[in-house]
Amino acid sequence: MRTKDLIAILANDSRSPVHRLPSPSVRLIKWLAVSAPWIALVVAVMHLRPDLGTKLAEPRWLLEQGAALATAVTAGMAALCAGVPGRPRWERWLAAGPVLVWLGTLGLGCVQDWIQSGPVGVSLQPDWECLPGIVLVGLVPGVVMVALLRRLAPLVPVVSVGLGGLSAAALADFALRLFHTQDAGAMVLVWQVGTVALLSAASAAIGRHILCWRHLRAG
Amino acid sequence: MRLDEAEMAALMQAAQDGDAVAYARLLDGIVPLIRQAVACRWTGIEEPDDLVQDVLLSLHQVRRTYDPNRPFVPWLMAIAQHRLADAQRRHARRAKGEVAVEALPETFSDEDAKEPIDRLADAETLSRAMADLPPRQRQAVELLRLKEMSLKEASEASGMSIAALKVSMHRALKSLRAALSK
Repeated sequence: MRTKDLIAILANDSRSPVHRLPSPSVRLIKWLAVSAPWIALVVAVMHLRPDLGTKLAEPRWLLEQGAALATAVTAGMAALCAGVPGRPRWERWLAAGPVLVWLGTLGLGCVQDWIQSGPVGVSLQPDWECLPGIVLVGLVPGVVMVALLRRLAPLVPVVSVGLGGLSAAALADFALRLFHTQDAGAMVLVWQVGTVALLSAASAAIGRHILCWRHLRAG
Repeated sequence: MRLDEAEMAALMQAAQDGDAVAYARLLDGIVPLIRQAVACRWTGIEEPDDLVQDVLLSLHQVRRTYDPNRPFVPWLMAIAQHRLADAQRRHARRAKGEVAVEALPETFSDEDAKEPIDRLADAETLSRAMADLPPRQRQAVELLRLKEMSLKEASEASGMSIAALKVSMHRALKSLRAALSK
């Protein structure tokens, strides 16, 4: 097909206006607005942890939760920016700071636990509730994030979907700790952050299947 | 027709609002830009015009992502560069499975496979040999080789069992090989 003929076909196909994409921050707010009621519902069904009042007074717990929430928000923002052509590349690294703070606070927590309780403080026991818990809470945020990402350009599908998965999983972990009473640094690091990392990697692995150019190549 | 950044942005904005004439003008105007970007970096064998068309199709698919408050050319070039990178990857993948040779080999390396082509292509000898086959063997060859049926389909069509078809086919090939090598 000649390029001129293709231009005529595309122009003919553009007679109806397209709905311009809102800015990434507006889309992020929409994502949070849809995800929040689901998270509230799951937390209500699972019942808030009985010691939440005490936890809210602990700077370490607040810092860990703040870092998890910041990771979710910044990773979501980065995912939504990555699919818009022409936006700066540094935006894809928005979540790097919060992730480092999150890992740093948990690592510091492990050291504190070690100092307080010795090797017992950093011992690991099976905690299989984390994986299904994070998957369940992250289901709606994850699906909504994919729907939002599919409206963007599939420029870097692995990065976009990986960041989207990280945002949904980190948000789910934030919610999980509102009803799941497991705060030992090593346990949170391995079972909860491990699950978040696993889900993010799995999302990135299927990125190319979720986001792709839908048109056929010109013949 | 050369367009400047402000004109391109204005035309894209009009195109997003459903102005097909503005869109056609914009696409016409950006083709040289895309062609230039592609020509600078493309090292594959695919026609550069195919890539230009790929970029136009991609732009069309994601035209809603253009924000009129941001410059147009970086938006366009980001799409062009990603499509070009995709094409380079595709080309590299294909090239990996290909072997460059100066002259194609005339025949197979295996001595037994070097059948004289004129003898094999002798249609008259072949049809005589086919006619000399017993009916069940001839039917097996017709169904499995000439009509390219599967064993199951041939079994249904002939009423012979799959095992019987296999035996008939084996015997037929043996007879044909013997007849053709005379």
